[in-house]
Amino acid sequence: MSVAIAGVASRRRGERDWLTTAVIALALLTVPLWLPWVGGYTALASHVLVMGLVAMALNFLLGFTGVMSFGHAAYFGLGAYGTGLTLRYVSDSTMLALLAGILLGGIAGTVLGALIARRRGVYFAMVTIAFGQIFYYIAYSWNDFTGGYDGLRGFSRQPLQIGPLVIDIQNNGTLFYYFVLTVFAVSVALMAFILASPFGRTLLAIRENQRRARFLGIPVDRHIWLSFSISCFFAGTAGALYALLNNFADPTALHYSLSGEIVIMVVMGGMRAFWGPLVGAAVFVVLQDYVSSMTVNWMSFIGLMFVAVVLFFPRGLLGILRRRREA
Amino acid sequence: MEVTIPPATGRGALINRRTLIKTGAALGALQLAAPNLISARGEAPIKLGWIDPLTGVLSILAVTEVEGAKLAVEQINAKGGVLGRQLQLLVEDSANDVGTGVQKAHKLIERDQVDAIFADVNSAIAYAVEGVTSDKKIFHIVPGGHTDPITGKDCKWNVFRICNTTAMDAAAITQTLVSKFGKKFFFITPDYAYGHTLQENFIKRLKALGGTYEADMLPINTADFSASLIKARAYKPNVLLNNMGGLAQIDCMKQFTQFGMQKDMALGGALFELESVLSLPPDAQTGWWDMEWWWDQPGVPHVAEFVAAVKKATGKPASARHWFGYVAIHSFRIAAEKAKSLEAIKLTRALENEVLPPEVALQPGNIAYRAGDHELMAGIFTGEVHPPKGDPANVFTVAAVVPGEQAAGTVEDTGCHMTYPS
Repeated sequence: MSVAIAGVASRRRGERDWLTTAVIALALLTVPLWLPWVGGYTALASHVLVMGLVAMALNFLLGFTGVMSFGHAAYFGLGAYGTGLTLRYVSDSTMLALLAGILLGGIAGTVLGALIARRRGVYFAMVTIAFGQIFYYIAYSWNDFTGGYDGLRGFSRQPLQIGPLVIDIQNNGTLFYYFVLTVFAVSVALMAFILASPFGRTLLAIRENQRRARFLGIPVDRHIWLSFSISCFFAGTAGALYALLNNFADPTALHYSLSGEIVIMVVMGGMRAFWGPLVGAAVFVVLQDYVSSMTVNWMSFIGLMFVAVVLFFPRGLLGILRRRREA
Repeated sequence: MEVTIPPATGRGALINRRTLIKTGAALGALQLAAPNLISARGEAPIKLGWIDPLTGVLSILAVTEVEGAKLAVEQINAKGGVLGRQLQLLVEDSANDVGTGVQKAHKLIERDQVDAIFADVNSAIAYAVEGVTSDKKIFHIVPGGHTDPITGKDCKWNVFRICNTTAMDAAAITQTLVSKFGKKFFFITPDYAYGHTLQENFIKRLKALGGTYEADMLPINTADFSASLIKARAYKPNVLLNNMGGLAQIDCMKQFTQFGMQKDMALGGALFELESVLSLPPDAQTGWWDMEWWWDQPGVPHVAEFVAAVKKATGKPASARHWFGYVAIHSFRIAAEKAKSLEAIKLTRALENEVLPPEVALQPGNIAYRAGDHELMAGIFTGEVHPPKGDPANVFTVAAVVPGEQAAGTVEDTGCHMTYPS
């Protein structure tokens, strides 16, 4: 009897998740139709997707493995620099540059993750910040190669060539938005696939109780390392898109203050919900964009909003909706 | 008899805690929503996008630049606007962050469809935004970002600049510093576009005069200069050149005087702006510097009117940054009225070699945007900073006004090769 009830509840939850996904997909696909009506612009939508992807990447680690990184901006920034440097010095192929950004962010995360994965709690967080700042200072100081504080300029995303078909993402903002959306969709689908796999379930077990997972014979350190590394590949993807969006990369994209903002996005949206970080990123980016046009004290508004969410809605904005449905 | 007691949780109350929070949030959101009730009043205004670091270490300079621009917009609108349309200034905060500046440029161009962009006090942001505006073919004036490539090797047909290049500022003051104090310099320089080109130009001029130097490059937002000042004291230079900007420059000056170093070496540099001088105690108001515009110019037409207008509008003494903002908006007006168009290429052609009228130039001589590199050939005021004499804003005595062309050298020297769209 109880098994049957659990089965029905699980099926309903599955149907609700599909519905949420369908609503989000529809909203994202129709952005160019409705965004101008609410005072938005296409580059803002692309920015939301980019920050949404990096927030979801962090949440892969934080929300689904239970490990906090305060240095994820490093892998985001490396993705941006990988793409920018490739376009500037190596090739004018957008796809090659995208791949280079993903690989730079991901491989750096994989190598450093091996050193970080054994640390726990505050030590893990501290080491992630420290490694992040190393990359920040390299980018800041290496003026001749990275452009230093002024950032890396002199590159531009190029039109995509698929056989005889040329897609002009260079000059057409809407086409570029759909390019970003495609990369975002593939990344998110991959993330969902991994989380639904036995490996993803193991990560959840580690999140819930590391000691019990270890007693069950799960190699916890290796799983955390893999989770960190996968998360960095997704963060690198977001960074690569960021460089293509602005045709620009600067050291701020590697700085720990951006890591803090990514954590804020995850917490605001809800770190136990798959789509929570995307919602958090959308609220953060849009609020920042609008309020900074009205007052120089816009950072106070963001701070107040964050404090309000943490105090009154600790499960994040999507967490509220989920709790209401469950009530 | 039955007595109903209201539940302690508030669930039965008319307004509970959650409702109150939601209502507050909704009211807050309403305040942020763009009002759309006045959109149909006459012809649409000409939108001008202004990006400046209103927060961060350069905010002290950015705020006055925006005040100057607002004053010009008010005056122009009071006289009927430009081409019969009112001007609307949309101001965005770049937060002294290059990425944010680029994002704001996209926002102003794509969402607000501005006709021109004005950006930025921070050279790195101005430089990066130049990339966006040239891609989008938007008319762009850089009011106060000094780094040389903007009108030098990376010059663009759509970009004009009002403030001097670092080469001009260094050329105007180096000889004075060497002849007054000696050939041994120590530089404290911000590690970004402006600092790099400024120090390079100082060193080039100093070496030509047979001088020697040491230098420390520091992050733009440095607050503690003790390590650099100790190094400077050990080097025993004739002059310490404080090339930092805004609040960082102020902090450096304060620490310089707290260390008592004014007894050991002279102080000087390219820029020590009025806003910064007024933020310092009297013993730190010292040294030989450039000013890119100065409010006290007896006998020069219209200067007193401008100074009075700034005082009335802002309560502050007029600074070079006020003048930059003022000139930027008027330059757009002059170009649009001459071109009778808002098309970027026509505005560009109209502004090239255009001599600014005296009520905009506000200094002796004829000043114009040089066609070869789009740099405004404005005079550079060199002189001594000192504690106030009479008027609280009288903190600088002009020794000479170096003509812009003389300090700038030739267009070939700048490395600019201007190419125009076909």
